[in-house]
Amino acid sequence: MAALGRLAICLALLFAAYATGVSILGAIRRRRHLVRSGTHAAYAVFALVVVAVAILLHALVEHDFSLEYVAAYSSSTLPLRYTVAALWGGQKGSLLFWVFMLTLFTTIVQLQNRERNRELMPWVTATLMTIAAFFLGLLTFVTDPFERLPIPAREGADLNPLLQNYWMTIHPPSLYTGYVSASVPFAFAIAALAAGRLGDQWIRSVRRWALFSWFFLTLGNLFGARWAYEVLGWGGYWAWDPVENAAFMPWLVSTAYLHSVMIQEKKDMLRVWNMVLVLLTFSLTIFGTFLTRSGVISSVHSFTQSGLGPFFIGFLLVVLVVSGGLVVYRLPELRTPATVESFLSREAAFLFNNLILVGIAFAVFWGTVFPVVSEWVRGVKITVGPPFFNRVNAPLGVALLFLAGVGPVIAWRRASPPNLWRAFAGPVAAGVVAAAALAVAGVPLGYAHSTFALGVFVLGTIVQEFWRGMRARQAMLHESPGRALSRLVGKNRRRYGGYIIHVGVVAVFVGVAASSVFRVEVQQTLAPGQEAAAGKFTLRYERVTKQDDPHMSRLAAVVSVWRDGKAVTTLTPEKRFYKKPQQPTTEVAMRATLTEDLYLVLGSYDEQSGLVTILAYVNPLVSWIWIGGVIMALGTTVAMWPTAAERRAPAYALGGVRVTAD
Amino acid sequence: MLDKRRFIVGAVLIAAAVSYLIYAGVRTTSMYYFNLDEFLSSREAHADEDLRVKGWVRHGSVRWDPRTNDLAFELAHQDDTSPVPVAYRGVLPDMFSEGREVVIEGRYSAGRLAAHQIMTSCPSKYEPAKAGS
Repeated sequence: MAALGRLAICLALLFAAYATGVSILGAIRRRRHLVRSGTHAAYAVFALVVVAVAILLHALVEHDFSLEYVAAYSSSTLPLRYTVAALWGGQKGSLLFWVFMLTLFTTIVQLQNRERNRELMPWVTATLMTIAAFFLGLLTFVTDPFERLPIPAREGADLNPLLQNYWMTIHPPSLYTGYVSASVPFAFAIAALAAGRLGDQWIRSVRRWALFSWFFLTLGNLFGARWAYEVLGWGGYWAWDPVENAAFMPWLVSTAYLHSVMIQEKKDMLRVWNMVLVLLTFSLTIFGTFLTRSGVISSVHSFTQSGLGPFFIGFLLVVLVVSGGLVVYRLPELRTPATVESFLSREAAFLFNNLILVGIAFAVFWGTVFPVVSEWVRGVKITVGPPFFNRVNAPLGVALLFLAGVGPVIAWRRASPPNLWRAFAGPVAAGVVAAAALAVAGVPLGYAHSTFALGVFVLGTIVQEFWRGMRARQAMLHESPGRALSRLVGKNRRRYGGYIIHVGVVAVFVGVAASSVFRVEVQQTLAPGQEAAAGKFTLRYERVTKQDDPHMSRLAAVVSVWRDGKAVTTLTPEKRFYKKPQQPTTEVAMRATLTEDLYLVLGSYDEQSGLVTILAYVNPLVSWIWIGGVIMALGTTVAMWPTAAERRAPAYALGGVRVTAD
Repeated sequence: MLDKRRFIVGAVLIAAAVSYLIYAGVRTTSMYYFNLDEFLSSREAHADEDLRVKGWVRHGSVRWDPRTNDLAFELAHQDDTSPVPVAYRGVLPDMFSEGREVVIEGRYSAGRLAAHQIMTSCPSKYEPAKAGS
């Protein structure tokens, strides 16, 4: 079976190479049958990759420990869901999974575009198949997922205990989906450049794909944060680790693109800029993959130095040179005469939003590669840690939040005083009142205070937009309020979906600001019956309990919790000692509410004296980060949902060719 | 064209602000990241300065008092040579054990490293399951 898997990958590589070559030839010579042959070869690549994935999955589920990969990442006692998740738990499997996603998306794109984008499609196929060929080449020549052990192992080494977690089943696939689907807009951008079709056609064709990719990058990042928060036991959710940054940077640039593309659609400006953002997003996904696999940058998630680094950096260079070259080649045609007329305009607000997003991405990039750069330039390794990222990004984030309130409601071209008054009087008043109320309530002035006040301002603009839109429909069409509201959203999905996403963004900002600034951290060593205070909470350590089973032994501290003098719950933070591989892990105990999370970690336990050390964190408003994530997901779904017209023509609807009137 | 120029001024202002934030951030928060040899050769010059040092936990050197959470151990090469004493107060990271590679963040003075953070790398088995990895 394993031999068959390897054969499938080798054949897939050949077909991918063929598809690339024949598509380019077909495009240049304008031969339809060549293009069609390329498309069919791409389907074949997908089918072959499916076969390979199925074989690896089968080997995992059947515990075929003669395969190195299966023996390294699973065991016969591993629950089925983690056995399946082991498909992306290790390097080789995750590369195969990557190709699987890529070829799946390629197939969908081709089905969507059977009758459309004749000029672009051969180039799209060629680009996507080049990427696929790169990954298939790695799987064929460098890191073979079907490698056999000389002597079959009797038992697997098991998946790392830290990965045996609910989030393992959803976080990596979400992030991969986001990463890999960024290839589709990239392929269309390259196709537009190569074919010289630089108008809005390619942008319309990838609009939903860009949103789709952004959606999964958002989810992937938030799932990762949630995972770190629940599992790692240091009381936080984001550490500015290179791996996290690797996933955050494409998200930032992709966010910038989703905004600036609206300017291109409306005003035919920023063509070069949008092109660059799409190319950059994809390059950052490859860079992220390089970061996490090369071991060049030390990360808390230490990586096996896999030797794949040079391949990724090489591929990244090719991507940058080809895209950069194409942009320069087409520069004269890409330039547009339109320009920003005034700082007080929607164009300017969007532009500044873009510059700040890209600025944040650059700051994150710089902080991430700083150790390497300093070593090259000065011969010494200098690192920057979370304080750097927080210091740089806090003011930029606040500015961004402000623009999220300005951008959607300020007038195009040039805002007049009446327009400004009409758009901002209410929201600004709300923000000012909130700022004053917060100050009176004792919230110290600073980033958190500004974030809360600006959050109210942004929400004010959004509520005002919904309200005015609804009132207008009621007045003109005599609809009931509920009907008016749902019609309003239904007819302008992209616009109002965007507003809903902004509501989620505000919630995330508020949660991040509050939990970063007002977090309480207490470390106490306690004897049974002793109490400790943490913010509004009183904790009493009662006793420890112990459990032992073949899989692991567990030690739990029973802690009674009072809030403002009232008994609220009993929490049991644990230490677990996995027996295979032998490793202790921390099991956090949490009481999460809308106002704050009480987060307990069992630090240590002394057998002789019965003393435990408890780490307690009180993290205010963290729940709003996750709630904000849910709201953002809802908003994105609204924005992506096909309009009635698209639903009537499903063949065309898939691609999101049609533009909703907004 | 006047407007175009004005816009460029705005863009340059933002770029300058971002650059300044990065520059100031690096100045105030950066620290040296030494491997043990680099640290040994330059430690006197960097006394009382926040820095990171990478090394291995020397076998047989770990003293841990779970009542006070005081940890003392020696940072050394992988073969246990050139030890440097390290003092730390706080909870032991899960992955901390003798012979393991660690990164210490702290200050050096009077012949020892006072650590305020100990970062452990995961066991070599672990290949990241995260982010494009």
